[in-house]
Amino acid sequence: MLVREAEMEKARNVPKAISVKNLTKIYGNGFKAVDDISFEVNEGEIFGLLGPNGAGKTTTIKILTTMIKQTSGSAEVAGRNVNANPKEVRQVVSYVPQAISVDGDLSAYENLLVFGKLFYVNRSDLNSRIESALEYMGLSERKDDLAKHFSGGMMRRLEIAQALVNRPKVMILDEPSLGLDPSSKKQIVDYIKKVNKEFQTTVLITTHDMMEADELCDKIAIMNAGRISIIGAPQELKKSVGGDVITITLSKGSSVTQVLGISIPLILGNIASNDGSTLKIVCENGEHAIPRLLEYFEKNSLSADAISLSKPTLDDAFMKYAKASLDSSRDYGDTRATRRSFARRSG
Amino acid sequence: MVQNQVVRFASSVLTLGEMEARKIRHDSTELWMRAIQPALWLTVFGTILGAIRGLAPSGYTYTQYIAPGVLAQSVLFVAIFYGILIVWERDFGLLTKLLSTPSPRSSIIVGKALAAGVRGIFQGIVIVALALILGINLRFDILDVLGVLVVAVLFAMCFASLSMILASLLKTRDRMMGIGQAITMPLFFASNAIYPISLMPKALQYIALGNPMTYVVDAMRAMLLTGNYSGLPTDIFALLISTTIMIVIASLTLKRLIE
Repeated sequence: MLVREAEMEKARNVPKAISVKNLTKIYGNGFKAVDDISFEVNEGEIFGLLGPNGAGKTTTIKILTTMIKQTSGSAEVAGRNVNANPKEVRQVVSYVPQAISVDGDLSAYENLLVFGKLFYVNRSDLNSRIESALEYMGLSERKDDLAKHFSGGMMRRLEIAQALVNRPKVMILDEPSLGLDPSSKKQIVDYIKKVNKEFQTTVLITTHDMMEADELCDKIAIMNAGRISIIGAPQELKKSVGGDVITITLSKGSSVTQVLGISIPLILGNIASNDGSTLKIVCENGEHAIPRLLEYFEKNSLSADAISLSKPTLDDAFMKYAKASLDSSRDYGDTRATRRSFARRSG
Repeated sequence: MVQNQVVRFASSVLTLGEMEARKIRHDSTELWMRAIQPALWLTVFGTILGAIRGLAPSGYTYTQYIAPGVLAQSVLFVAIFYGILIVWERDFGLLTKLLSTPSPRSSIIVGKALAAGVRGIFQGIVIVALALILGINLRFDILDVLGVLVVAVLFAMCFASLSMILASLLKTRDRMMGIGQAITMPLFFASNAIYPISLMPKALQYIALGNPMTYVVDAMRAMLLTGNYSGLPTDIFALLISTTIMIVIASLTLKRLIE
């Protein structure tokens, strides 16, 4: 308990790169795109903003990058208020929009040059910063080629290189892997990680790719219909969906009545379903439970034919929380029901 | 502090102008093709209508008379469709990214207008060269030509800003194409580009006097043809006023484009 409090104390003292309080945006046509959201992103963190299309992610980003003004609430980026100091905010934030936004009629080098100048990077540092950003993103050899001849993945890398020229404290990427092939996706994810680690740049990212979010993000907020359904580490979100599910098929020789009558110690998990030959067991840590379960069955003179383990994915968490706020009348507090529904889905 | 801001503003504006110059250096095909139409105006239209006496003031051929007007027209064409480019850049996210830099929004607008001006300079040079090639006798004095290019830049900035205002109201490329087609010819015909204002019906004369293009053609004609600079201060003043008004309105309406 003490440890936990100490951790929380520590979390409070970590400087915040982004801090959003009761943010609401209602557009001119009355559409409430963002509905009273609050969240904080620690310095150096990779924060994922997930949610279905139209959840309010891009609107939130537009407010954070001072493109549009919120209706109410407040937002700070790197300690600067987006309304009081919009220019200062833009000076320390780099934004990579959803659409590929490099200028195809300019070379890679020139694309960076323009942004370096618009960010007022010192003339004496400009060339070396551009060269190092291109080098860093693996584009040095193509720096004099027009960007329109680049592949989608290279264009994205060029955009990240562009974003690096002003050495941002916060980098905001709106669906950076949209429309890329799997290997380019992987590459972009690796580059984002590298930037985050080496420059201690805080990253705010939106994505529809749960695998990517899981791999990349330290913390995730799931948005739906303008609200944040849940915030947590990917691990916590997955855990909140339900535990690991172990499916054991017992050997043909076992007596059905014996199998139907079996119970297992609570410490190993709960039996979610049992049809007389196949058991589905929900537990906290599947890898850990499997050998102990086998041992337990052996003791009760039962042997297993096949065994499989399925772990909850971020997709499951996404489905749950994205749906949860669509239909808020449903109570997701009941773990048993959730676990059952999870067991059914994976069965 | 204020001085610093002025320097930064100017730096952002020039950066966008430089960006456009670099694009033209990479690929200027479009601008060369845009020289075809003015060439037709000068060779075909100019020669045929030149047969009618009284259109041009005495002492000048009709082709000489319309050459400055054709130059202004080709700058107008570049500028009036510039808003399409802005809509295009908005659709591609480039505009949002430009606006996410610490450069002031108005500097992005002025910079984009200057970018149209850079294209205008190129058009100006091409048409002066064309006039040389076609043997149209103009005053090819270096200072006069430079003066014409300055007027071309201001003119392009004025109508590129108008085009950006229209873009922020109309918001799509198709509509911009339509409105561009709809207003270029009226602007051209309601000016002194290819005939003197005195020949127009009374009502049209007033419209022509309110048309910035009239002042542009007048200034260009003074520098390229007559060498009579008496009207120049009025022309430049009228052009500066209209350009400033357009830029201010465009800076105010820009946010409609990104919402």
